[in-house]
Amino acid sequence: MTIFQKSQKAQHAYSLPSDTTAFEQFQPPKKYIRQTPIPLPEVSEIDLTRHFSQLAHQNAGIDNMFYPLGSCTMKLNPRVNEWAANLPGFTRCHPLAPEETVQGCLQLIDELIQILCRLCGMTAGTLLPNAGSQGEFVGVRLISAYHQHRGDTNRNQMLIPDSAHGTNPATAAMCGYSIVTIRSNSDGDLDLTDLKAHLSPQVAGLMLTNPNTLGLFSPQILEIARLVHESGGLLYYDGANLNPLLNIARPGDMGFDVMHINLHKTFSTPHGGGGPGSGPVLCNDKLKQFLPTPRVELHEERYRIIHEDPSSIGAIAAFHGNFGIYLRAYLYAKLHGNYGLRKIAETAVVNANYLKSKLERLFTAPFSRHCMHEFILQADRYLDKGIKAMDIAKRLLDYGVYAPTVYFPLIVKEAMLIEPTESESKDTLDRFAAIFEHIVREIETDPEIVKTAPHTKSVSRLDEVQAVKHPILTHTAHTN
Amino acid sequence: MDFISNKEPQIKEMLTAIGVSNVDELFSSIPSQMRLPRPTDDDGISEFEGMQFMEALAANNTYPAFQNYLGAGAYEHHVPAIVQAICSKSEFLTSYTPYQAEASQGMLQIIFEFQSAICALTGLDISNASLYDGASACAEAALMAFRIKPDSRKIVVSRSMHPHYRQVLKQYLASHSYQIEEIPFRNDGSFDIDTLDCEGAAAVLIQSPNFFGVMEDSHAIFKIAKEKGVLCILCANPLSYGLFASAAEVGADIAVGDCQPLGLPLQYGGPYCGYIACKTNLVRQLPGRIVGETTDTQGRKGFVLTMQAREQHIRREKATSNICTNQALAALATLITILWYGKQGLCKLALTNYQRAAYLRSKLQPGPDCYFNEFKLSFNTSMDTVLHHFRKHGIEPGLCLKKYYPELSNLLLVSVTETKSKKQLDRYIDIAKEIRG
Repeated sequence: MTIFQKSQKAQHAYSLPSDTTAFEQFQPPKKYIRQTPIPLPEVSEIDLTRHFSQLAHQNAGIDNMFYPLGSCTMKLNPRVNEWAANLPGFTRCHPLAPEETVQGCLQLIDELIQILCRLCGMTAGTLLPNAGSQGEFVGVRLISAYHQHRGDTNRNQMLIPDSAHGTNPATAAMCGYSIVTIRSNSDGDLDLTDLKAHLSPQVAGLMLTNPNTLGLFSPQILEIARLVHESGGLLYYDGANLNPLLNIARPGDMGFDVMHINLHKTFSTPHGGGGPGSGPVLCNDKLKQFLPTPRVELHEERYRIIHEDPSSIGAIAAFHGNFGIYLRAYLYAKLHGNYGLRKIAETAVVNANYLKSKLERLFTAPFSRHCMHEFILQADRYLDKGIKAMDIAKRLLDYGVYAPTVYFPLIVKEAMLIEPTESESKDTLDRFAAIFEHIVREIETDPEIVKTAPHTKSVSRLDEVQAVKHPILTHTAHTN
Repeated sequence: MDFISNKEPQIKEMLTAIGVSNVDELFSSIPSQMRLPRPTDDDGISEFEGMQFMEALAANNTYPAFQNYLGAGAYEHHVPAIVQAICSKSEFLTSYTPYQAEASQGMLQIIFEFQSAICALTGLDISNASLYDGASACAEAALMAFRIKPDSRKIVVSRSMHPHYRQVLKQYLASHSYQIEEIPFRNDGSFDIDTLDCEGAAAVLIQSPNFFGVMEDSHAIFKIAKEKGVLCILCANPLSYGLFASAAEVGADIAVGDCQPLGLPLQYGGPYCGYIACKTNLVRQLPGRIVGETTDTQGRKGFVLTMQAREQHIRREKATSNICTNQALAALATLITILWYGKQGLCKLALTNYQRAAYLRSKLQPGPDCYFNEFKLSFNTSMDTVLHHFRKHGIEPGLCLKKYYPELSNLLLVSVTETKSKKQLDRYIDIAKEIRG
């Protein structure tokens, strides 16, 4: 039942200050007043509490189970970060408060940008983008501003690999570019011949992630960077796969000009059921003048805010971005230090390769070489039993683990993209491998149970076709 | 410190199983000239030291000690204690996007209820799982309007809409050859309806209550727009719907805004939570995630992400937006707050916000017109003197408008919420009168 169906007349949870006498005489002019009552339910505090407890029982997070979602970096969300983000000294600061009164906030912003720049080999950055996609948007806008500034107005194409995350082409399109797709070769790397064929004075840049969405580091990256720069374009780094590179290698050293980071991936800020995220953008000297405003700078030992800059592309957020989110990332970085961040990268890669070695014989491993933080397996060998990757994903749910990412990247058939992260212990990985082995045996002996999974959740497979054909998107559209 | 489980004993075993002798071999695909040396000293800190550090940093913020009368798109409201309790539950805080619907019915239902709550407030038919903030919501609504009216290249926007929102709108439209036409405001801060010319525009976008707290005559403005076949977009503080006409009642096709006043602390600017709602016939152009109800193989009711063909992971460059994550946990905070107040409470909350601001205004700047939550206050003394005087008394009295509207250099934008008692307001009045002499 939705909360709308739990309404009981006159019940409520709220309380309001009672000193209303002095204010009662003020009533708004009738012409503005709402005529239709608000169709919200009337629920007491205990019923509200129980409603959400019940919903929690029908959900699960990293705290509850292993979440090997490739490309999502589902690492532990440390509770100490939650504690810090809820300090009144931060939560009570108004975004337009005078600079002198929020020096703590400004220091955090400035220092985090510096930490991220050092880590990534960049010289300047911004914490304003509210999520990875918005970070990509800012990054591509910086590239536009760069070419515009040079008077080069012909560059209206953006090169994007066929293995790229959907946000890359969507972002480029939002910025007015037409997308040219570059093929991957049989090694899962960018096809250099195809790249060379498409580089031209019309190309603004290439968007890339490295390691790529197949979990593989491109050893050609320096060559790719050289080719793109030679043709006058810029190189954009999608930071979704930054986890295995922390203090191992830096995107700036690889030749990238601009990048975004997903703090809700690499820096452990909680996924929250789908957000809020945070997508800081970092860049080198070619682009720093175009960074959005407002910016923070240290001036004679005091932090100040630069509200406007004629070279800047302008604003991207209403205020300072998701401060409460990047605050968590800041503490996370400080707790680890450079030493700890390196250990994250190393252990993420060890965990992934270990898990790969345990699962390889059960599935097709399209790329035999060592992976980085994630790897792809294909479930195509079970198609003749009528079993697809989606079925295996659903059956995993019955065993108390979350399914890996399926059907991404699009270029690999029956793909399962698995990323354990550095958080997980060897035991968890062993148990996960054992569950997979069990399911593979089920495919042999009882494929039906896999095909119709899950069986132990509050619902079985949901009819997504019906949801599109006959949309019910609010409770008032109910037929119950 | 770190949060890594595996230690030397496990790493050794795992490297053997992989078939390498050391970790460095796993990074051999990275050219050696790029690889950084391993740090030798542990420069991390303990949890205790981390907490001390953050407490000291927070203490460098003196703002929390001031009584806050700043508004301008971020409002200080009571956040019910139950919000933290529910939002910090593991099953919500640490879960991901509900792609595997069967294991995520909790979060999916929450989003469905959030969508329903936004529709309840705005009076419109469909909403989504949230956008980043009010500013990007306005921008996304504008792009939506241009998709619906592909022959139009112009959007009409009120200059009395939040300056930051207008800047973000400009940002989103910068890459396309769209034209933004701004309508000025009259002396009282309201939309100058006489100068409205929306011929050939895709949409008219107004904010009410506007940046100055003035309630616009949205119905009249949208009537003109409709006569020209132009889409009507209303940006509003969702709390104002507890008292004032819904977006549907004034004729809006699309409603946007920021849910921050409902359940989200100030947090130096974020995370907040943008909302967007529209009429049924426009749903295919809505950006962002949408949750819908359906049934499972046994006919039981369940929820799924639906209409994903609009989104980036399916449509890529043809998507309605590049948005991937939404503001899920922030939307949950808003949903809980809306439900905690409920049908009656939301009306009473909106009314007391209106009344407390009206009380302060009546004592210092009486006048007609309808304001919600904030209003303009004029001083003959220099703004620096005004601010200095209030601050001496531990009050941040409001926002100087000079920076945004140079012609309004003697005005302060003052916000009053249910957090201000009569005693506090009377103190403000005394100090203001002192300044005015």
